[in-house]
Amino acid sequence: MTKNRIVTRRQFLKSSIGVATAFTIVPRHVLGGEGNTPPSETVGGALIGCGGRGSGTFETMGLSAKLLVSCDVKFLDRADNKTIYTDFRKVLERKDIDVVAIATPPHWHALISIAAMEAGKDVLCEKPMTRFIAEGRAVVEAEKRYNRIFQVGTFGRFGERQKKESILIHKIIKSGLLKKCEAVSIKQGGFKVKEWSGKVNSQPEPIPPNLDWDMYVGPSPMKPYHRHRTGGTHRGYWDYEGGGLSDMGQHYFDPFQWTYAKDDTSPVEIEAYAPPAHPDACGMWGWVELKYADGLTLVFDSGEWGQPYNRKESRGVRLNDLDEESRKKIEAMPDPEPLISFAEAVKTRKRPGGHAEAAHRCATLLHLANIAIRTGRKIRYDPIKEEIIGDQEANRLVNQPMRAPWHL
Amino acid sequence: MNESSSGLAALVSKLPDPDEQGMLSNIDKQVVENVITEVHKGGRDSIVGLINMLVEPGKGDDVKPRYALHCLAVYVCKLQDPNQQQAFTTALASQLGDNRPKAVQSYVIRQLQVAGGKEVASSLGNLLCDEELCQDAAQALVAIGDGAAEQFRNALPKAAGKCRLTIVQNLGVVRDARSANLLRQFVNDSDRDTKLAAAWALANIADTGSMDTLLKAADTENPYERIKLTQACLVLAEKLLTAGKKNEAAKIYTRLRDTRTDESEKYVRDAAMNALAAIGER
Repeated sequence: MTKNRIVTRRQFLKSSIGVATAFTIVPRHVLGGEGNTPPSETVGGALIGCGGRGSGTFETMGLSAKLLVSCDVKFLDRADNKTIYTDFRKVLERKDIDVVAIATPPHWHALISIAAMEAGKDVLCEKPMTRFIAEGRAVVEAEKRYNRIFQVGTFGRFGERQKKESILIHKIIKSGLLKKCEAVSIKQGGFKVKEWSGKVNSQPEPIPPNLDWDMYVGPSPMKPYHRHRTGGTHRGYWDYEGGGLSDMGQHYFDPFQWTYAKDDTSPVEIEAYAPPAHPDACGMWGWVELKYADGLTLVFDSGEWGQPYNRKESRGVRLNDLDEESRKKIEAMPDPEPLISFAEAVKTRKRPGGHAEAAHRCATLLHLANIAIRTGRKIRYDPIKEEIIGDQEANRLVNQPMRAPWHL
Repeated sequence: MNESSSGLAALVSKLPDPDEQGMLSNIDKQVVENVITEVHKGGRDSIVGLINMLVEPGKGDDVKPRYALHCLAVYVCKLQDPNQQQAFTTALASQLGDNRPKAVQSYVIRQLQVAGGKEVASSLGNLLCDEELCQDAAQALVAIGDGAAEQFRNALPKAAGKCRLTIVQNLGVVRDARSANLLRQFVNDSDRDTKLAAAWALANIADTGSMDTLLKAADTENPYERIKLTQACLVLAEKLLTAGKKNEAAKIYTRLRDTRTDESEKYVRDAAMNALAAIGER
């Protein structure tokens, strides 16, 4: 009798990537040779989202990619569907596009990243990677399903990888030899809380003739147009981002996450000190405390509202936290592998340093913090199932419904 | 204004004013919480009273009642008392209907998305054929989960246009296996969005009976549809595999391996080959 082993989707996607090297997965133009020009001359690029960050994001790819296409929902007055587009779906049909840089507001990041990978493209996506947690998991699955290169646009971890102290902490945590982590990492200030708050009293304005508002709103709930919902200040609205915490958090916490070897897990308890949140506009908050299962505590202390955080003091991880035998094991451990840049990953097809799982877990920190702020209650989180435990209403913010025809 | 509504108005007026930039930057947590606690004590009258203060965007200032109603929705969830929660949500649901502007109903629906349960599913289901409210109602039903599938299924035969697309997609979101036969009809729909939504929905439901339909649809020459329908096939294969249906999954992968021979689709062929190798098939 044949036993059917039930495999979860996540396990299956993981295993299929393991055999990827058995097949040729290098783009033809990378191979060079007769009839094919070297990659520096043939990587076709598209920029989707041409606002303030757009050109910078494209350059961040570090490739000699040729910008063939610019796409933005505010190009209604100039789109020619040859070099200028308003609809990213038409861009992704093009066979001459190999890489896509995504610099739209965050509520589009996951959907366009996934669609681009479905179309065979590699992706550099601006931070924050996602607007809510389930989007991140969907991006991870698409990355694995299609064996594409995905990197989010924050690079602090590459710097941490060069620091002796960070490498040591990484090795200690990764080794599993530290039975209880008493480290407390407190990030004070720099969250732009007030700067990226939303307006609560804006009145509808006429939609600019060059803007496809329906497409701008996309998967988010339809609300009347107001200029403050676009052009950078979109950050102040739950519909598109998550305030300054979402804007800045991935920069701050991606290096932390690498250092503390937390790329494959999430905190299990999250508590916020904040006033009751507005339904539409991101607003003020004081601090958020996040605890991992191994004892590690991460604190975001905005310094912009209420009393400062005073529960615990900052503390690192030290070799002395280990017994002598464990310390010797750590000293004998090799350093972690160097992190691969996006450009190198596209050429070699190796996983980049800021790959989808890592970026998703980092974005999850921000989303869990915002869920705690928005619900006003302590959250318990299952980092394996990626669900909030015992609070069905809070769990609704983990996977938020989308406006048709958009879906994960 | 009678005594209870003037009392409510007085309470609501204690909520913070927006600053000169329109933001709630100067917000006293205790004041807000005290106001909401008091509003909650007013029961159904307070809820209806707050909704009476809501206006359509651009038609007046309802910043404070809007904020109050949402804070109340969050507050009743925090109480963890099903009776109190249902009292709130049924009061909200009772205010959905033609005597309220659509924009106000939309806001009420979004509070049901925060705090509602199965008790309001039919009230939301009644709005699935309303062009202006179907999206909000659908999103609230999806968030609630319990009872949603039945509402979508019942509304689908009566729905048209945007409403139909919304329902088709969300039957997939809630993974309603009972809708599979119905959804299969839409895979050849003349509306592209509906066609793609139906295909994805069937994949997400892991409907074995749709395998051949999806594979055939995915052979389309239309580039974007081909990408999305191929994705639906891959998602279906993964879900079949999780369900222990290895042979069916292998059939999908084999077909994609054998048909995606153009250079531009090599990544799909590779994805199929990787998957076959992972399950021990070649």
